[in-house]
Amino acid sequence: MPIQAIQMTLTQTLVMGLLQIVVVLIAVFIMVPLLTFAERKVIGYIQVRLGATRLAGGHVGITGPMNRVMWSMGKVPMLSILRGLPIFIADALKLITKEDIIPAKADRGVFTLAPIISVMAAFGVFAAVAYYPGVMFYLPKGFPIVGGLPFQGFITDVNVGLLFILGLASVGVYGIVLGAWASNSKYPLLGGLRSAAQIVSYEVPLTLSLLVPVLLAGSLNFKEMSILLATGKGLHPLAIIPLFIGFFVYLTCGFAETNRVPFDLPEAETELVAGFHTEYSGMKFGFFYLAEYANMIVVSALATAFFLGGHYLLPFGLQRFIPETVPFLGQPSFIFFLGKVCFILFVFLWVRATLPRYRYDQLMDVAWKYLLPLTLVNLFIAALIRFAF
Amino acid sequence: MSFLRTLIPFDIAGGMKLTGRYFGKVFFSANRKKVRTEIKHFTQEYPEVAVRLQPRFRGRLTLLKDEQGEIKCVCCLACEKICPTQVITIEKGKKEGRKMPFPVRYDFEMERCIFCEFCVESCGFDSIILNHQFELAGYNREDFSLGMEGMAQNMFEPSPVGRHSVAED
Repeated sequence: MPIQAIQMTLTQTLVMGLLQIVVVLIAVFIMVPLLTFAERKVIGYIQVRLGATRLAGGHVGITGPMNRVMWSMGKVPMLSILRGLPIFIADALKLITKEDIIPAKADRGVFTLAPIISVMAAFGVFAAVAYYPGVMFYLPKGFPIVGGLPFQGFITDVNVGLLFILGLASVGVYGIVLGAWASNSKYPLLGGLRSAAQIVSYEVPLTLSLLVPVLLAGSLNFKEMSILLATGKGLHPLAIIPLFIGFFVYLTCGFAETNRVPFDLPEAETELVAGFHTEYSGMKFGFFYLAEYANMIVVSALATAFFLGGHYLLPFGLQRFIPETVPFLGQPSFIFFLGKVCFILFVFLWVRATLPRYRYDQLMDVAWKYLLPLTLVNLFIAALIRFAF
Repeated sequence: MSFLRTLIPFDIAGGMKLTGRYFGKVFFSANRKKVRTEIKHFTQEYPEVAVRLQPRFRGRLTLLKDEQGEIKCVCCLACEKICPTQVITIEKGKKEGRKMPFPVRYDFEMERCIFCEFCVESCGFDSIILNHQFELAGYNREDFSLGMEGMAQNMFEPSPVGRHSVAED
Protein backbone atom coordinates (compact mmCIF):
# COMPACT_ATOMS: atom_id res chain seq x y z
CA MET A 1 0.00 0.00 0.00
CA PRO A 2 1.87 3.08 -1.16
CA ILE A 3 1.52 6.15 0.95
CA GLN A 4 1.58 9.39 -0.96
CA ALA A 5 4.52 11.44 0.12
CA ILE A 6 3.09 14.64 1.47
CA GLN A 7 5.57 17.39 2.11
CA MET A 8 5.27 18.45 5.71
CA THR A 9 7.08 21.30 7.37
CA LEU A 10 9.22 20.59 10.42
CA THR A 11 6.59 21.98 12.77
CA GLN A 12 3.94 19.87 11.14
CA THR A 13 6.06 16.74 11.46
CA LEU A 14 6.72 17.42 15.11
CA VAL A 15 3.10 18.19 15.92
CA MET A 16 1.92 15.18 13.98
CA GLY A 17 4.36 12.90 15.81
CA LEU A 18 3.32 14.36 19.14
CA LEU A 19 -0.34 13.87 18.26
CA GLN A 20 0.21 10.25 17.35
CA ILE A 21 2.21 9.61 20.50
CA VAL A 22 -0.54 11.14 22.62
CA VAL A 23 -3.20 9.06 20.89
CA VAL A 24 -1.23 5.85 21.38
CA LEU A 25 -0.44 6.69 24.99
CA ILE A 26 -4.08 7.43 25.76
CA ALA A 27 -5.11 4.21 24.04
CA VAL A 28 -2.66 2.24 26.16
CA PHE A 29 -3.64 4.07 29.33
CA ILE A 30 -7.25 3.15 28.65
CA MET A 31 -6.47 -0.41 27.64
CA VAL A 32 -4.39 -1.26 30.71
CA PRO A 33 -7.11 -0.60 33.31
CA LEU A 34 -9.65 -2.27 31.06
CA LEU A 35 -7.31 -5.24 30.97
CA THR A 36 -7.19 -5.41 34.77
CA PHE A 37 -10.98 -5.34 34.78
CA ALA A 38 -11.08 -8.04 32.11
CA GLU A 39 -8.65 -10.07 34.19
CA ARG A 40 -11.00 -10.02 37.17
CA LYS A 41 -13.96 -10.90 35.01
CA VAL A 42 -12.34 -13.64 32.91
CA ILE A 43 -10.73 -15.36 35.86
CA GLY A 44 -13.98 -15.04 37.77
CA TYR A 45 -15.97 -16.63 34.99
CA ILE A 46 -13.49 -19.45 34.60
CA GLN A 47 -13.67 -20.15 38.33
CA VAL A 48 -17.49 -20.18 38.10
CA ARG A 49 -17.76 -16.84 39.91
CA LEU A 50 -18.97 -13.52 38.60
CA GLY A 51 -15.88 -11.41 39.19
CA ALA A 52 -16.31 -7.77 40.15
CA THR A 53 -19.96 -6.76 40.02
CA ARG A 54 -20.13 -3.73 42.31
CA LEU A 55 -18.17 -1.05 44.11
CA ALA A 56 -17.73 -1.01 47.87
CA GLY A 57 -20.66 0.46 49.75
CA GLY A 58 -23.60 -1.71 48.75
CA HIS A 59 -26.81 0.08 47.78
CA VAL A 60 -26.32 3.05 50.09
CA GLY A 61 -23.72 5.80 50.27
CA ILE A 62 -21.80 7.52 47.50
CA THR A 63 -21.52 4.45 45.30
CA GLY A 64 -25.11 3.42 45.99
CA PRO A 65 -26.77 4.81 42.84
CA MET A 66 -24.00 3.34 40.69
CA ASN A 67 -24.39 -0.05 42.33
CA ARG A 68 -28.14 0.07 41.83
CA VAL A 69 -27.65 0.80 38.14
CA MET A 70 -25.21 -2.09 37.86
CA TRP A 71 -27.64 -4.35 39.69
CA SER A 72 -30.34 -3.64 37.12
CA MET A 73 -27.76 -4.11 34.34
CA GLY A 74 -27.40 -7.68 35.56
CA LYS A 75 -30.78 -8.55 34.06
CA VAL A 76 -29.78 -7.50 30.55
CA PRO A 77 -27.96 -10.28 28.69
CA MET A 78 -25.04 -8.38 27.14
CA LEU A 79 -24.73 -5.58 29.67
CA SER A 80 -24.38 -7.98 32.58
CA ILE A 81 -20.76 -8.53 31.54
CA LEU A 82 -20.01 -4.85 32.02
CA ARG A 83 -21.14 -4.74 35.64
CA GLY A 84 -18.27 -3.68 37.86
CA LEU A 85 -16.68 -1.69 35.07
CA PRO A 86 -16.30 1.47 37.22
CA ILE A 87 -13.96 -0.55 39.39
CA PHE A 88 -11.12 0.16 36.98
CA ILE A 89 -11.43 3.87 37.78
CA ALA A 90 -11.45 2.99 41.46
CA ASP A 91 -8.31 0.89 40.99
CA ALA A 92 -6.49 3.70 39.23
CA LEU A 93 -7.58 6.28 41.81
CA LYS A 94 -6.42 4.02 44.60
CA LEU A 95 -2.97 3.63 43.05
CA ILE A 96 -2.60 7.38 42.48
CA THR A 97 -3.73 8.47 45.92
CA LYS A 98 -1.77 5.93 47.94
CA GLU A 99 1.21 7.03 49.99
CA ASP A 100 4.51 6.64 48.21
CA ILE A 101 6.84 5.00 50.69
CA ILE A 102 10.58 4.73 50.14
CA PRO A 103 12.28 2.33 52.59
CA ALA A 104 14.79 4.02 54.93
CA LYS A 105 17.84 2.09 53.71
CA ALA A 106 16.87 1.95 50.07
CA ASP A 107 19.00 3.50 47.36
CA ARG A 108 16.70 6.42 46.73
CA GLY A 109 17.90 7.35 43.26
CA VAL A 110 17.85 3.86 41.81
CA PHE A 111 14.66 3.06 43.66
CA THR A 112 12.94 5.90 41.85
CA LEU A 113 14.65 5.23 38.55
CA ALA A 114 13.67 1.56 38.30
CA PRO A 115 9.93 1.95 37.64
CA ILE A 116 10.67 4.73 35.18
CA ILE A 117 12.98 2.44 33.20
CA SER A 118 10.35 -0.28 33.22
CA VAL A 119 7.62 2.01 31.95
CA MET A 120 9.87 3.66 29.37
CA ALA A 121 10.95 0.32 27.97
CA ALA A 122 7.36 -0.87 27.80
CA PHE A 123 5.96 2.29 26.23
CA GLY A 124 8.88 3.11 23.94
CA VAL A 125 8.23 -0.11 22.06
CA PHE A 126 4.96 1.33 20.79
CA ALA A 127 6.94 3.76 18.66
CA ALA A 128 7.75 1.04 16.13
CA VAL A 129 4.51 -0.93 16.25
CA ALA A 130 2.28 -0.43 13.21
CA TYR A 131 -1.41 -0.75 14.03
CA TYR A 132 -2.41 -0.12 10.47
CA PRO A 133 0.05 -0.01 7.55
CA GLY A 134 -1.09 3.22 6.01
CA VAL A 135 -3.32 6.20 6.48
CA MET A 136 -6.03 5.56 9.05
CA PHE A 137 -7.92 8.80 8.40
CA TYR A 138 -7.35 12.39 7.38
CA LEU A 139 -7.46 15.04 10.05
CA PRO A 140 -10.22 17.63 9.56
CA LYS A 141 -9.25 20.79 7.73
CA GLY A 142 -9.97 22.99 10.71
CA PHE A 143 -7.37 21.28 12.88
CA PRO A 144 -4.64 23.71 13.98
CA ILE A 145 -1.26 23.39 12.22
CA VAL A 146 -1.79 19.83 10.91
CA GLY A 147 -5.27 20.21 9.38
CA GLY A 148 -5.97 17.99 6.39
CA LEU A 149 -2.89 15.83 6.87
CA PRO A 150 -3.05 12.03 6.95
CA PHE A 151 -3.09 10.30 10.33
CA GLN A 152 -1.01 7.21 9.91
CA GLY A 153 -1.42 3.94 11.77
CA PHE A 154 2.12 3.98 13.12
CA ILE A 155 4.27 6.53 14.90
CA THR A 156 7.53 5.95 13.07
CA ASP A 157 8.46 3.73 10.17
CA VAL A 158 11.76 2.33 11.45
CA ASN A 159 13.44 0.11 8.86
CA VAL A 160 14.87 -2.10 11.63
CA GLY A 161 11.68 -1.87 13.66
CA LEU A 162 11.83 -5.39 14.99
CA LEU A 163 15.38 -4.93 16.28
CA PHE A 164 14.32 -1.71 17.93
CA ILE A 165 11.39 -3.45 19.61
CA LEU A 166 13.45 -6.41 20.82
CA GLY A 167 16.25 -4.17 22.05
CA LEU A 168 13.99 -1.83 23.93
CA ALA A 169 11.89 -4.65 25.37
CA SER A 170 14.97 -6.28 26.87
CA VAL A 171 15.80 -3.03 28.67
CA GLY A 172 12.71 -3.67 30.77
CA VAL A 173 14.56 -6.28 32.82
CA TYR A 174 16.86 -3.51 34.10
CA GLY A 175 13.89 -1.86 35.72
CA ILE A 176 13.02 -5.04 37.54
CA VAL A 177 16.56 -5.90 38.63
CA LEU A 178 17.46 -2.37 39.65
CA GLY A 179 14.24 -1.98 41.58
CA ALA A 180 14.82 -5.28 43.31
CA TRP A 181 18.36 -4.38 44.25
CA ALA A 182 17.59 -0.82 45.35
CA SER A 183 14.85 -2.00 47.71
CA ASN A 184 17.58 -3.33 50.04
CA SER A 185 15.42 -6.26 51.02
CA LYS A 186 15.78 -10.00 50.59
CA TYR A 187 12.59 -11.05 48.86
CA PRO A 188 12.71 -8.39 46.16
CA LEU A 189 16.34 -9.29 45.49
CA LEU A 190 15.47 -12.96 45.02
CA GLY A 191 12.58 -12.01 42.80
CA GLY A 192 14.78 -9.72 40.76
CA LEU A 193 17.47 -12.38 40.32
CA ARG A 194 14.91 -14.91 39.20
CA SER A 195 13.47 -12.38 36.83
CA ALA A 196 16.86 -11.60 35.32
CA ALA A 197 17.66 -15.28 34.78
CA GLN A 198 14.24 -15.98 33.36
CA ILE A 199 14.07 -13.06 30.97
CA VAL A 200 17.64 -13.56 29.74
CA SER A 201 16.88 -17.24 29.10
CA TYR A 202 13.64 -16.66 27.29
CA GLU A 203 15.03 -13.84 25.21
CA VAL A 204 16.89 -16.46 23.18
CA PRO A 205 13.97 -18.62 21.97
CA LEU A 206 11.82 -15.50 21.67
CA THR A 207 14.23 -13.86 19.27
CA LEU A 208 14.83 -17.09 17.38
CA SER A 209 11.11 -17.64 16.94
CA LEU A 210 10.75 -14.10 15.65
CA LEU A 211 13.54 -14.80 13.17
CA VAL A 212 11.20 -17.07 11.23
CA PRO A 213 8.96 -14.23 10.02
CA VAL A 214 12.05 -12.12 9.43
CA LEU A 215 13.55 -14.85 7.27
CA LEU A 216 10.34 -15.46 5.35
CA ALA A 217 9.63 -11.78 4.80
CA GLY A 218 13.23 -10.79 4.18
CA SER A 219 12.79 -7.58 6.08
CA LEU A 220 13.00 -6.10 9.56
CA ASN A 221 10.50 -3.35 8.92
CA PHE A 222 7.41 -3.87 11.02
CA LYS A 223 5.03 -2.54 8.38
CA GLU A 224 6.50 -4.47 5.45
CA MET A 225 6.73 -7.68 7.45
CA SER A 226 3.15 -7.56 8.64
CA ILE A 227 1.81 -6.84 5.15
CA LEU A 228 3.90 -9.51 3.50
CA LEU A 229 3.21 -12.21 6.08
CA ALA A 230 -0.49 -11.51 6.04
CA THR A 231 -1.07 -11.37 2.31
CA GLY A 232 1.41 -14.17 1.70
CA LYS A 233 2.72 -12.64 -1.52
CA GLY A 234 5.93 -14.41 -2.48
CA LEU A 235 5.57 -16.88 0.39
CA HIS A 236 5.67 -20.59 -0.33
CA PRO A 237 2.44 -22.33 0.81
CA LEU A 238 4.53 -24.55 3.10
CA ALA A 239 5.64 -21.47 5.03
CA ILE A 240 2.58 -21.95 7.20
CA ILE A 241 4.38 -24.79 9.05
CA PRO A 242 7.24 -22.77 10.57
CA LEU A 243 4.89 -19.84 11.14
CA PHE A 244 2.46 -22.07 13.01
CA ILE A 245 5.14 -23.59 15.24
CA GLY A 246 6.80 -20.20 15.66
CA PHE A 247 3.55 -18.67 16.84
CA PHE A 248 3.19 -21.05 19.75
CA VAL A 249 6.85 -20.81 20.70
CA TYR A 250 6.64 -17.03 20.51
CA LEU A 251 3.53 -16.95 22.65
CA THR A 252 5.15 -19.20 25.27
CA CYS A 253 8.21 -16.98 25.40
CA GLY A 254 5.98 -13.93 25.47
CA PHE A 255 4.34 -15.25 28.62
CA ALA A 256 7.77 -15.64 30.18
CA GLU A 257 8.94 -12.22 29.02
CA THR A 258 5.97 -10.46 30.57
CA ASN A 259 6.27 -12.48 33.81
CA ARG A 260 2.81 -13.88 33.46
CA VAL A 261 1.50 -17.18 34.79
CA PRO A 262 2.74 -19.92 34.34
CA PHE A 263 6.13 -18.18 34.29
CA ASP A 264 5.46 -15.64 37.05
CA LEU A 265 8.38 -16.73 39.20
CA PRO A 266 9.60 -13.15 39.84
CA GLU A 267 6.43 -12.45 41.77
CA ALA A 268 5.67 -15.91 43.12
CA GLU A 269 3.27 -14.95 45.89
CA THR A 270 3.61 -18.20 47.74
CA GLU A 271 7.39 -18.12 48.07
CA LEU A 272 8.43 -14.49 47.71
CA VAL A 273 6.12 -11.97 49.29
CA ALA A 274 5.37 -10.20 46.05
CA GLY A 275 8.62 -10.49 44.14
CA PHE A 276 10.61 -7.53 42.98
CA HIS A 277 7.98 -4.95 43.88
CA THR A 278 7.53 -5.94 47.53
CA GLU A 279 8.84 -2.60 48.81
CA TYR A 280 7.08 -0.49 46.22
CA SER A 281 3.85 1.32 46.91
CA GLY A 282 1.70 3.99 45.40
CA MET A 283 2.32 5.11 41.87
CA LYS A 284 5.81 3.57 41.73
CA PHE A 285 4.18 0.18 42.07
CA GLY A 286 1.58 1.40 39.62
CA PHE A 287 4.33 2.00 37.08
CA PHE A 288 5.55 -1.60 37.33
CA TYR A 289 1.96 -2.71 36.99
CA LEU A 290 1.46 -0.49 33.97
CA ALA A 291 4.67 -1.76 32.40
CA GLU A 292 3.64 -5.38 32.81
CA TYR A 293 0.30 -4.84 31.16
CA ALA A 294 1.75 -2.61 28.44
CA ASN A 295 4.24 -5.41 27.74
CA MET A 296 1.35 -7.81 27.40
CA ILE A 297 -0.20 -5.54 24.81
CA VAL A 298 3.13 -5.32 22.95
CA VAL A 299 3.55 -9.09 22.89
CA SER A 300 -0.01 -9.46 21.63
CA ALA A 301 0.56 -6.83 18.96
CA LEU A 302 3.75 -8.54 17.73
CA ALA A 303 2.12 -11.97 17.67
CA THR A 304 -0.81 -10.50 15.78
CA ALA A 305 1.32 -8.67 13.25
CA PHE A 306 3.85 -11.41 12.49
CA PHE A 307 1.86 -14.62 12.91
CA LEU A 308 -1.86 -13.95 12.96
CA GLY A 309 -2.01 -11.84 9.83
CA GLY A 310 -2.11 -8.43 11.47
CA HIS A 311 -4.72 -6.16 10.01
CA TYR A 312 -5.98 -8.79 7.56
CA LEU A 313 -8.59 -11.36 8.40
CA LEU A 314 -6.85 -14.71 8.09
CA PRO A 315 -3.68 -15.73 9.97
CA PHE A 316 -0.46 -17.37 8.75
CA GLY A 317 -0.56 -15.90 5.24
CA LEU A 318 -3.84 -17.62 4.39
CA GLN A 319 -5.21 -14.26 3.29
CA ARG A 320 -4.03 -15.02 -0.25
CA PHE A 321 -7.13 -17.20 -0.70
CA ILE A 322 -9.42 -14.20 -0.27
CA PRO A 323 -9.11 -11.92 -3.28
CA GLU A 324 -8.53 -8.26 -2.53
CA THR A 325 -11.72 -7.34 -4.31
CA VAL A 326 -13.90 -8.78 -1.55
CA PRO A 327 -15.39 -5.70 0.14
CA PHE A 328 -14.69 -6.08 3.86
CA LEU A 329 -13.00 -9.42 4.44
CA GLY A 330 -10.39 -8.94 1.74
CA GLN A 331 -9.40 -5.47 2.84
CA PRO A 332 -7.04 -4.57 5.66
CA SER A 333 -8.84 -3.11 8.64
CA PHE A 334 -7.86 -1.84 12.06
CA ILE A 335 -10.75 -3.82 13.52
CA PHE A 336 -9.10 -7.14 12.63
CA PHE A 337 -5.88 -6.04 14.32
CA LEU A 338 -7.70 -4.93 17.46
CA GLY A 339 -9.77 -8.07 17.54
CA LYS A 340 -6.76 -10.34 17.32
CA VAL A 341 -4.88 -8.36 19.98
CA CYS A 342 -7.87 -8.65 22.27
CA PHE A 343 -8.07 -12.38 21.61
CA ILE A 344 -4.41 -12.91 22.54
CA LEU A 345 -4.88 -10.78 25.65
CA PHE A 346 -7.80 -13.05 26.49
CA VAL A 347 -5.51 -16.05 26.02
CA PHE A 348 -3.12 -14.47 28.52
CA LEU A 349 -5.89 -14.38 31.12
CA TRP A 350 -7.21 -17.78 30.11
CA VAL A 351 -3.80 -19.38 30.63
CA ARG A 352 -3.41 -17.58 33.93
CA ALA A 353 -6.64 -19.13 35.18
CA THR A 354 -5.68 -22.59 33.94
CA LEU A 355 -2.04 -23.45 34.44
CA PRO A 356 -0.10 -23.75 37.68
CA ARG A 357 3.30 -22.11 38.04
CA TYR A 358 6.42 -23.93 36.87
CA ARG A 359 9.14 -24.84 39.31
CA TYR A 360 12.38 -22.94 38.81
CA ASP A 361 14.36 -25.82 37.26
CA GLN A 362 11.39 -26.74 35.07
CA LEU A 363 11.32 -23.17 33.87
CA MET A 364 14.92 -23.34 32.76
CA ASP A 365 14.34 -26.80 31.25
CA VAL A 366 11.50 -25.49 29.14
CA ALA A 367 13.60 -22.65 27.81
CA TRP A 368 16.90 -24.39 27.12
CA LYS A 369 15.97 -28.05 26.56
CA TYR A 370 12.74 -27.78 24.60
CA LEU A 371 12.08 -24.33 23.21
CA LEU A 372 15.60 -23.58 22.03
CA PRO A 373 16.06 -26.79 19.95
CA LEU A 374 12.50 -26.42 18.70
CA THR A 375 13.09 -22.90 17.49
CA LEU A 376 16.37 -23.88 15.86
CA VAL A 377 14.68 -26.72 13.98
CA ASN A 378 11.85 -24.38 13.10
CA LEU A 379 14.29 -21.81 11.80
CA PHE A 380 15.97 -24.50 9.73
CA ILE A 381 12.62 -25.50 8.21
CA ALA A 382 11.88 -21.87 7.45
CA ALA A 383 15.25 -21.38 5.79
CA LEU A 384 14.71 -24.56 3.76
CA ILE A 385 11.32 -23.35 2.56
CA ARG A 386 12.66 -19.91 1.80
CA PHE A 387 15.63 -20.98 -0.24
CA ALA A 388 14.97 -24.50 -1.52
CA PHE A 389 11.56 -23.93 -3.06
CA MET B 1 5.39 -41.19 20.18
CA SER B 2 6.42 -40.05 23.64
CA PHE B 3 8.70 -37.56 21.94
CA LEU B 4 5.71 -36.07 20.14
CA ARG B 5 3.78 -35.98 23.39
CA THR B 6 6.59 -34.00 24.95
CA LEU B 7 6.63 -31.60 22.05
CA ILE B 8 2.90 -31.04 21.65
CA PRO B 9 1.30 -29.95 24.92
CA PHE B 10 -1.83 -32.11 24.89
CA ASP B 11 -2.30 -31.78 28.64
CA ILE B 12 -2.22 -28.01 28.48
CA ALA B 13 -4.71 -28.11 25.63
CA GLY B 14 -6.98 -30.35 27.71
CA GLY B 15 -6.82 -27.99 30.66
CA MET B 16 -7.48 -24.98 28.48
CA LYS B 17 -10.46 -26.76 26.98
CA LEU B 18 -11.92 -27.42 30.42
CA THR B 19 -11.51 -23.87 31.69
CA GLY B 20 -12.69 -22.49 28.38
CA ARG B 21 -15.86 -24.52 28.68
CA TYR B 22 -16.51 -23.14 32.16
CA PHE B 23 -15.84 -19.63 30.89
CA GLY B 24 -18.36 -20.07 28.11
CA LYS B 25 -20.96 -21.51 30.46
CA VAL B 26 -20.75 -18.62 32.90
CA PHE B 27 -20.27 -16.02 30.17
CA PHE B 28 -23.53 -16.94 28.49
CA SER B 29 -25.50 -17.30 31.73
CA ALA B 30 -24.12 -14.40 33.76
CA ASN B 31 -27.26 -12.32 33.42
CA ARG B 32 -30.15 -12.90 35.77
CA LYS B 33 -32.73 -13.73 33.10
CA LYS B 34 -33.70 -17.04 34.66
CA VAL B 35 -36.28 -17.78 31.98
CA ARG B 36 -33.87 -18.43 29.15
CA THR B 37 -30.67 -19.56 30.79
CA GLU B 38 -30.04 -21.42 33.97
CA ILE B 39 -27.61 -19.71 36.33
CA LYS B 40 -24.29 -21.58 36.33
CA HIS B 41 -22.12 -19.54 38.67
CA PHE B 42 -21.84 -19.85 42.43
CA THR B 43 -21.72 -16.16 43.29
CA GLN B 44 -24.65 -15.01 45.40
CA GLU B 45 -25.53 -11.35 44.89
CA TYR B 46 -27.11 -11.29 48.31
CA PRO B 47 -28.61 -7.92 49.20
CA GLU B 48 -30.12 -7.50 45.74
CA VAL B 49 -30.98 -11.07 44.86
CA ALA B 50 -32.53 -13.61 47.19
CA VAL B 51 -30.02 -16.16 48.42
CA ARG B 52 -30.09 -19.65 47.01
CA LEU B 53 -29.99 -21.89 50.10
CA GLN B 54 -29.59 -25.61 50.44
CA PRO B 55 -32.95 -27.34 51.06
CA ARG B 56 -31.87 -28.58 54.49
CA PHE B 57 -30.74 -25.15 55.68
CA ARG B 58 -31.72 -24.68 59.34
CA GLY B 59 -33.14 -21.23 59.93
CA ARG B 60 -35.76 -19.95 62.36
CA LEU B 61 -38.40 -22.22 63.96
CA THR B 62 -41.89 -21.84 62.52
CA LEU B 63 -45.23 -23.53 63.14
CA LEU B 64 -46.77 -25.04 60.04
CA LYS B 65 -50.41 -24.63 59.06
CA ASP B 66 -52.63 -27.09 57.22
CA GLU B 67 -54.84 -26.42 54.19
CA GLN B 68 -57.53 -24.70 56.24
CA GLY B 69 -55.02 -22.32 57.78
CA GLU B 70 -55.18 -24.15 61.10
CA ILE B 71 -52.03 -24.59 63.12
CA LYS B 72 -51.04 -28.26 62.91
CA CYS B 73 -49.48 -28.43 66.37
CA VAL B 74 -51.38 -30.65 68.81
CA CYS B 75 -49.35 -29.80 71.93
CA CYS B 76 -47.76 -33.20 72.46
CA LEU B 77 -44.80 -31.34 74.01
CA ALA B 78 -42.28 -33.62 72.32
CA CYS B 79 -40.30 -30.67 71.03
CA GLU B 80 -40.36 -28.95 74.41
CA LYS B 81 -39.03 -32.10 76.07
CA ILE B 82 -36.27 -32.85 73.60
CA CYS B 83 -34.97 -29.29 73.27
CA PRO B 84 -31.40 -29.26 74.70
CA THR B 85 -31.51 -25.58 75.58
CA GLN B 86 -35.19 -25.48 76.54
CA VAL B 87 -36.16 -22.63 74.32
CA ILE B 88 -39.68 -23.85 73.54
CA THR B 89 -42.58 -23.22 75.91
CA ILE B 90 -46.05 -24.46 74.98
CA GLU B 91 -49.32 -23.66 76.74
CA LYS B 92 -52.04 -26.18 76.01
CA GLY B 93 -55.53 -24.96 75.27
CA LYS B 94 -58.87 -25.71 73.60
CA LYS B 95 -60.43 -24.23 70.52
CA GLU B 96 -63.99 -24.30 69.22
CA GLY B 97 -64.60 -27.08 66.67
CA ARG B 98 -61.27 -28.75 67.11
CA LYS B 99 -60.85 -32.15 68.66
CA MET B 100 -57.12 -31.99 69.23
CA PRO B 101 -55.51 -29.69 71.76
CA PHE B 102 -54.53 -26.30 70.46
CA PRO B 103 -51.44 -24.31 71.49
CA VAL B 104 -52.59 -21.06 73.11
CA ARG B 105 -48.98 -19.98 73.42
CA TYR B 106 -46.01 -21.31 71.56
CA ASP B 107 -42.98 -19.35 72.73
CA PHE B 108 -39.58 -19.73 71.15
CA GLU B 109 -36.58 -18.02 72.76
CA MET B 110 -34.30 -17.68 69.79
CA GLU B 111 -31.39 -16.15 71.72
CA ARG B 112 -30.62 -19.54 73.27
CA CYS B 113 -31.56 -21.71 70.29
CA ILE B 114 -28.70 -23.75 68.83
CA PHE B 115 -30.59 -24.66 65.62
CA CYS B 116 -30.03 -28.40 66.15
CA GLU B 117 -33.36 -29.35 64.53
CA PHE B 118 -34.10 -31.93 67.26
CA CYS B 119 -37.57 -30.42 67.73
CA VAL B 120 -38.42 -30.89 64.07
CA GLU B 121 -37.14 -34.47 64.15
CA SER B 122 -39.10 -35.32 67.28
CA CYS B 123 -42.35 -33.85 65.99
CA GLY B 124 -44.71 -36.69 65.11
CA PHE B 125 -47.20 -34.47 63.29
CA ASP B 126 -44.83 -32.57 60.99
CA SER B 127 -46.15 -29.37 62.43
CA ILE B 128 -42.91 -27.40 62.86
CA ILE B 129 -39.94 -26.70 60.60
CA LEU B 130 -36.82 -24.62 60.64
CA ASN B 131 -37.50 -22.32 57.73
CA HIS B 132 -35.00 -20.61 55.40
CA GLN B 133 -34.77 -17.30 57.21
CA PHE B 134 -31.20 -16.43 58.00
CA GLU B 135 -31.38 -12.67 58.60
CA LEU B 136 -31.90 -13.30 62.30
CA ALA B 137 -30.25 -10.22 63.80
CA GLY B 138 -32.49 -8.16 66.05
CA TYR B 139 -32.66 -4.55 67.08
CA ASN B 140 -33.39 -5.31 70.73
CA ARG B 141 -33.67 -8.27 73.02
CA GLU B 142 -37.41 -8.69 72.59
CA ASP B 143 -36.85 -9.46 68.91
CA PHE B 144 -35.51 -12.83 69.96
CA SER B 145 -38.54 -13.97 71.97
CA LEU B 146 -40.85 -15.23 69.30
CA GLY B 147 -44.48 -16.19 69.68
CA MET B 148 -47.56 -16.78 67.64
CA GLU B 149 -48.92 -13.26 67.91
CA GLY B 150 -47.69 -9.67 67.86
CA MET B 151 -45.75 -7.79 65.24
CA ALA B 152 -42.20 -7.72 66.54
CA GLN B 153 -42.16 -11.26 67.86
CA ASN B 154 -44.44 -13.06 65.42
CA MET B 155 -42.81 -16.21 64.13
CA PHE B 156 -44.95 -16.23 61.00
CA GLU B 157 -43.67 -12.82 59.96
CA PRO B 158 -40.24 -12.18 58.44
CA SER B 159 -37.49 -11.33 60.89
CA PRO B 160 -36.92 -7.66 61.81
CA VAL B 161 -33.93 -7.44 59.47
CA GLY B 162 -35.51 -9.53 56.77
CA ARG B 163 -38.42 -7.10 56.68
CA HIS B 164 -36.05 -4.50 55.17
CA SER B 165 -34.68 -6.89 52.58
CA VAL B 166 -34.20 -5.33 49.13
CA ALA B 167 -34.06 -8.66 47.31
CA GLU B 168 -36.14 -8.89 44.17
CA ASP B 169 -39.13 -11.17 44.95
